[in-house]
Amino acid sequence: MFYKPKNAIYKSVSRRRFMELGGSAVTMLGTGALGIGMNSTMMSTRVQAQSSEDAKWKQFAGSKLVFLSENTPPSFAIRDKIKSFYDLTGIEVEILTDDLPVVQQKAGIDLRSGNADYPLQYVQDKPIGAPFADFYADLSPMFGDDTLPQDPEGYGDEVWYDNFLTACGRYYDGAKVIALPYDAAVACTFYRKDIYEANSKAFEAEYGYAMEYTNDTTWKNVLDFATYFKARKAAGEDVPYGYAQHQGTFAWTTQLDIQRMMFAHGRWTDFDIDDKIGSKTPGKTKWGDEQSVLMLEKFKALADVSHPDNLANGTLELNTVYQSGNIAMQIQYHEFAASIEDEKTSVAGGGRTAYAPCPKGAPEWILNGGEAVNGTNCGIGGIGISGNATEEIKRAAYLFAIWSTSKQNQYEVLSGLGGTPTRKSVLALPDVVAARTRPTTMPNALTFDAVYDFGIKDPNFVLGPKIPEANEYHSIIASETQKMLSNAQTPAETASSVQSLLDSLNDA
Amino acid sequence: MTSGVTNVSVAQVPPGTSLFRARGTSSDIEARPITAVLPLPVRLNSAAPRRYYLYLMAPAIAVLAFISLYPFVWLIVMSLQDVGVGAGEWVGLKNYTRLFNDVRFLEGWVLLAQYSAMCLALQLSIGLLLAVIVNGARWEKFLVTALLMPMMMAPAVAGLVWLFLYNGTFGWYHWLFQSLGWLDSGSILSSTDTAMLAIVLVDVWQWTPLITLIALAGLKRVPQDQLEANMVDGASPLRNFFAITLPNLYPVLLIAIMLRFMDNFRFIDAALVLTGGGPADSTKILPIYLFEVAFKFFKLGRGAAIALTLLVVTIILGKLLVRIFEKPKSERV
Repeated sequence: MFYKPKNAIYKSVSRRRFMELGGSAVTMLGTGALGIGMNSTMMSTRVQAQSSEDAKWKQFAGSKLVFLSENTPPSFAIRDKIKSFYDLTGIEVEILTDDLPVVQQKAGIDLRSGNADYPLQYVQDKPIGAPFADFYADLSPMFGDDTLPQDPEGYGDEVWYDNFLTACGRYYDGAKVIALPYDAAVACTFYRKDIYEANSKAFEAEYGYAMEYTNDTTWKNVLDFATYFKARKAAGEDVPYGYAQHQGTFAWTTQLDIQRMMFAHGRWTDFDIDDKIGSKTPGKTKWGDEQSVLMLEKFKALADVSHPDNLANGTLELNTVYQSGNIAMQIQYHEFAASIEDEKTSVAGGGRTAYAPCPKGAPEWILNGGEAVNGTNCGIGGIGISGNATEEIKRAAYLFAIWSTSKQNQYEVLSGLGGTPTRKSVLALPDVVAARTRPTTMPNALTFDAVYDFGIKDPNFVLGPKIPEANEYHSIIASETQKMLSNAQTPAETASSVQSLLDSLNDA
Repeated sequence: MTSGVTNVSVAQVPPGTSLFRARGTSSDIEARPITAVLPLPVRLNSAAPRRYYLYLMAPAIAVLAFISLYPFVWLIVMSLQDVGVGAGEWVGLKNYTRLFNDVRFLEGWVLLAQYSAMCLALQLSIGLLLAVIVNGARWEKFLVTALLMPMMMAPAVAGLVWLFLYNGTFGWYHWLFQSLGWLDSGSILSSTDTAMLAIVLVDVWQWTPLITLIALAGLKRVPQDQLEANMVDGASPLRNFFAITLPNLYPVLLIAIMLRFMDNFRFIDAALVLTGGGPADSTKILPIYLFEVAFKFFKLGRGAAIALTLLVVTIILGKLLVRIFEKPKSERV
């Protein structure tokens, strides 16, 4: 095939031989590339029930897993200490973090592919859990499996904060547990105590009651506060706006923003279904009833006296507005307390901010005869395992799931980067008890009274709706509410439009 | 060695055929027999069998089929199914018929038309103006390099940069626009009146240099003799531009318009980062809605139907554009 000098001492390579060698090389390279490219590899050693704990942890040593997670503090903290998991198990875990919408898209594509490139996934209750619940593995058979290590506290509802396990782990028929509570973002009120105190007398002179924030402060009071500040600002005084909403680009938090207010007034929910478990057939929506129209009117009234950037303020932007001192109050997720208390980046730090539950419903705004509660919603991020994974991968992934949600880990994340624990036992630790009052080394703990002792408990807790079309539902609520806030349609038209769109969405 | 040309005598021309073609004003001038200038090839080898060409093309066809045709056919199949995360269910044309009742789909078209028209008009006029200014300028090379810098940025990154610039709390442009009295208390992205302008501005900032670059290349090819002759006849520079320069630029401008028009129908990176389609769907152009349906709602069948309609309309509009620019100058006027 190739030129060969006459006196060559080597053999000429024939065309056939050359093709054979080339083919073999390509095959080997391809196989190697596939091997290297595979995200999850599995190496297992069978262990018996009576094996030592160490052997149970080490049975999948040499394996590699990928955890797809949101860019929240626990994931960063766990990534920082991932070596301790490797030392314990010999399993290598790669943690990929991204914004929640991206995580949701990647999770959906991976689940649809039939593969498990991301065997471990962050299961945020409604954006990820509700649409993809059927595609995650049931963890309950692994609870109590003698051949797997187990958390000494167990995994029942009683070891997690109220409603957390159901929020991220149970869907529709509730037969499976698809995720363990990994982190939590629970809404509560952040307000500038210094500004409230400075304006209390002037406010009282005008409105007849003091500008104070308590567990009984209602949405009507919040409207009064915001109106007061807006008037002062319009008069040229150097005061911040009284309130701001989450009506920016992220549809889910936009929906949560209005849901809190609606639930506070008579525990109003979108559908007549079990709010915590959800339903695949939610039926007709309650949007369009007189209570929903009234709530939209009040929400609009509040928007009109709030910070003017409402429609551009997503959760992060809203927090920046508060940090920069442009608003006196926000309803925010308790994980943000750490950033608020950092005086380097926040003028609201240094003891100026106080934390309280979400506002209560105003009895005079309740038309359906229901109860006035402190409507509190949340996002409970679970850690789940792809149903596409092999049994061995599921078992290896389970080790990471129970390790990452263990008491010790949650405590270290809380004290390190400012995590949000999901296990009750973490709150009982002396350090954490002490951290709930100032001065504190764990700023998020300042919110625990409002969140764990009050907001997440029934009857204040609202979660749903968990429906398979949750993401389109969020988008509809966000779009229609925003149209109302930009004066494109009235509250009644908005309620009616939401009603027809949701009924069409659910074929009701 | 054969010359490859067979001489043909006038006697071989069929009777009744005109042997001469006239150029200029007189039929006697430069008249040549038509057939005499038509060389006929001499076939040295017999024609290769048709399958020989097929073999040569096979690898390219296979690659093309794998990376392009298979996904395209699969897209059509998906558009006829109700596909989510699980297995699909055959629904016929339901995904298409449903689009006619989908307000967000119809509004998406209107917004896309507005967005594309604004982007194209601004980019063309500014891009052309910049090209004329830069053409032959003393610092031409430096200016061209400087102008191209926005294009070097990934669109998503450009979106993030402008998101910060527009931010109502710390954004520099927000401060600037407010200082100039163009904005009231809210930020540019928080109002349904201004959000569309905000994303158009980013697209114009990033992609006008492409028009400038293409127009500049076209300007270099404008025949100088025509310009000079026109000037000798007393034409002003403005008349020269419209009478000589612009008509000569039509072919390159067609390319520029086609590129930008198709990009505006496809690229949503910056808009997605800046507004995500909001507020109140005021910037939810069709590609953003398509992205939402397919990858947020995971309605892949519905998404495929939207994608196909978008593709068909893009092709039709592209063809129309080409036809407009291919018309003879006299018809165009």
